[in-house]
Amino acid sequence: MLQRKWLSVLLSVALMLGLAACNTGGGQQGDTSTAPGQEANATKPKLKVLYPSQPEDYNTYPVAAVLEERTGYKVQYDMLPADNPQDKLNIVIASGEEYDAIAVRGTSADKALFADYAVRGALTDLTPLIDEYGPNIKKALSEVTLDALTIDGKIYGIGNRTMEFVGGGLLIRQDWLDQLGLPLPTTVDEFVYVLEQFQEKDPGGNGGQNIPFSILGTDPFPANISGAFGLTNAWNEVDGELLPRALAPTLEDYVAFMNDLFQRKLLDNDFVINKVANLKEKLTNGQAGVIPTTWAEVTPLVEAIKKNHPEAKLAFIPTLQGADGQMGLSAASGFDRITMIPKSAKHKEDIIKWIDAMLEEETFKLVVLGEEGKHYTYENEAYVPINPIFTDERNRANNFLIGLDEEKYPIYWQARVRKDPVMFEAYEFLNMKQPEEAAQRDALRLAPYLPEFSKNSQSLDTLSNDTMVNLIFGSTSAGSLESFRQRFNAEGGEATVQEVNDWYKTSGN
Amino acid sequence: MLKKRNAKDWLLDGFIYLFMIALAVMTLTPFLNLLAKSVSEEWAVVSGKVTILPIGFQLETLKFVVTSSNFTSSLGISALVTVIGTVMAILLTAVTAYPLSKPQIPGVSFILILFVFTMLFSGGIIPNYLLIRELNLLNHLGSLILPGMISVFNLLVMKSYFEGLPEALEESAKIDGARTFTILFRIILPISSPVIATISLFYAVGYWNDFFSAMLYISDPALKTLQIYLKDIVINADLAALGMSPDDMMNLPGEGVRAAAVIASTVPILCVYPFLQKYFVKGVLIGSVKG
Repeated sequence: MLQRKWLSVLLSVALMLGLAACNTGGGQQGDTSTAPGQEANATKPKLKVLYPSQPEDYNTYPVAAVLEERTGYKVQYDMLPADNPQDKLNIVIASGEEYDAIAVRGTSADKALFADYAVRGALTDLTPLIDEYGPNIKKALSEVTLDALTIDGKIYGIGNRTMEFVGGGLLIRQDWLDQLGLPLPTTVDEFVYVLEQFQEKDPGGNGGQNIPFSILGTDPFPANISGAFGLTNAWNEVDGELLPRALAPTLEDYVAFMNDLFQRKLLDNDFVINKVANLKEKLTNGQAGVIPTTWAEVTPLVEAIKKNHPEAKLAFIPTLQGADGQMGLSAASGFDRITMIPKSAKHKEDIIKWIDAMLEEETFKLVVLGEEGKHYTYENEAYVPINPIFTDERNRANNFLIGLDEEKYPIYWQARVRKDPVMFEAYEFLNMKQPEEAAQRDALRLAPYLPEFSKNSQSLDTLSNDTMVNLIFGSTSAGSLESFRQRFNAEGGEATVQEVNDWYKTSGN
Repeated sequence: MLKKRNAKDWLLDGFIYLFMIALAVMTLTPFLNLLAKSVSEEWAVVSGKVTILPIGFQLETLKFVVTSSNFTSSLGISALVTVIGTVMAILLTAVTAYPLSKPQIPGVSFILILFVFTMLFSGGIIPNYLLIRELNLLNHLGSLILPGMISVFNLLVMKSYFEGLPEALEESAKIDGARTFTILFRIILPISSPVIATISLFYAVGYWNDFFSAMLYISDPALKTLQIYLKDIVINADLAALGMSPDDMMNLPGEGVRAAAVIASTVPILCVYPFLQKYFVKGVLIGSVKG
């Protein structure tokens, strides 16, 4: 017993030391466990990949079988946890697990990890492999996509670009407008007038419970309104320079505007404690007149409000124009997913061949859409899903993809939105029926790894949001905007702006 | 011995009852709220009308969750880990605690110190991960069962219970020719049901609720435990607007589904409590030793 205890103490010390040197030593162990698969299929080894979490098991999902049949590769799909995947990923990479490919989501935390791994030499340089084995990869992915995941001239990742559409807007009670004989507002002034009318005439009959406009406590920059003040995204272009909202010249006007709404109780005075669920409650129980939300979430809202108030009608507000004609709706950009091949991968060539085979035109379409007549139909130049089989067998197809056919995928992808007509209508309104200049992409989402930005952005975002909430609240303890900006710059804001703009000027945007 | 209850006693009792009831209500309300949400219609849940009574009673959501293959498979995994883990852990803890409860054995106190040492210091996440990996236990249920098999705290509880047992019992068995194992399994364990029940519950709940080792050691989706499944379902919907791809956003489970998943995963372990209840109350030693 005594001996065993000491042994394990010694062992853990040894293992800790081993970890320090594990980049070199990690590759050799565990060979025995993967050997049988190799014997069974000498030419095509069984691949092992690690993917982000999804509720269904990747291995038994219908798409896995389609891929195996089309590519000839057997694949074991492992999954990262939904909660804090970065923690587990760090351990997996540090211990040199033999995954042939690891896919992560494209959040800034994931991007920072990806860059970190690449710089520390934990990832395989894909440039020569793609040149040799990836003709389809080269064809499908644009220069911009590959550049964004290139570090020191070497491609370390294959990215799935986000569909660049507008996600969020302001949802309004159309029936309240109708009742008051008002049209949908198109400018900020009209919007304020509508809120005043909602408050004065109380079309919902809420009495003291009436809330003309409610927003999230975590996001003091609701969609659409923020755009009218030139604050659409976290970073916006001002005179050829990218500036965070905190330093934008229009911020002062915006704060004054929101504070005014708050003082006059046009803005929900409890907005600070609103979470997504509270916000939806306030709309669907008939209290709130306007809330920010996304088209993807609109269907349950419509269903719920119809039950509570059968006469209710919901609509998205068109892009509002600010005082000097500014407008903007934030459009998604960047990556949904980044796939990397760790140094410890055993089948580097095969994994690239597999990814390449997945991007072959026919296979790609079969994976994303399924079979014509069975999973989808092609009508009026649009792909329409056949349900329920499309949802059952292809709903998670996007999670299998490594790299996208960037020309075709946006067209195929609309089939997913069309699976629900209410949702599609909302999507269409925000994306196809708005002025072209309305949709504004966040320029930084495709930026390469920027060390200062990665280091500071999260704490700066928190600082800005907290201060904004306080300022809208009219709380004096928050101090003036000026002192906030000084603090912002002192805590890394200045260095970040400098770094971001150094990149921005060379990026050719 | 029986004193007449006076006004002060009544007041004190009343206060205690009130306090306990308030506490019970406080802990029960969120649970009832979830239960109500899981059997209410989605529209009522979305509009925040459901408190502790369901609105528009339906069992479809619960049925959808309970019959989905993801749920049943992870329920099976969790049940397996819990049952095997608890039985093995109790066995191991008992055979370790018994000799440690005999101070006359030389070196016992030193070994005890070694055990207590592990309570205070541990190797940390990465050494543990590497150990599990070298044992070829990654993606194996063994990784969930083995590391938790002896909890030093439970060991100490059991040890002090054994120490409280009268020496005379063992001596009488020895006179009848019983050896150590017979004494432990035929005499000591049968009269230790209160401590075994308590510790089984600790172990069972521990294994059932264990999220971290499953998150760390299990990547194969087919071996997902219930806690991981739950986390996947309940994942913070507030993040929806931020770092989520459009497809994930469209596929976000409704609030009713999430409530139903929580209920369905909590109820099985909750059912264990009443079965163990009776062991807590009984005194077992009454009349076993005379004089």
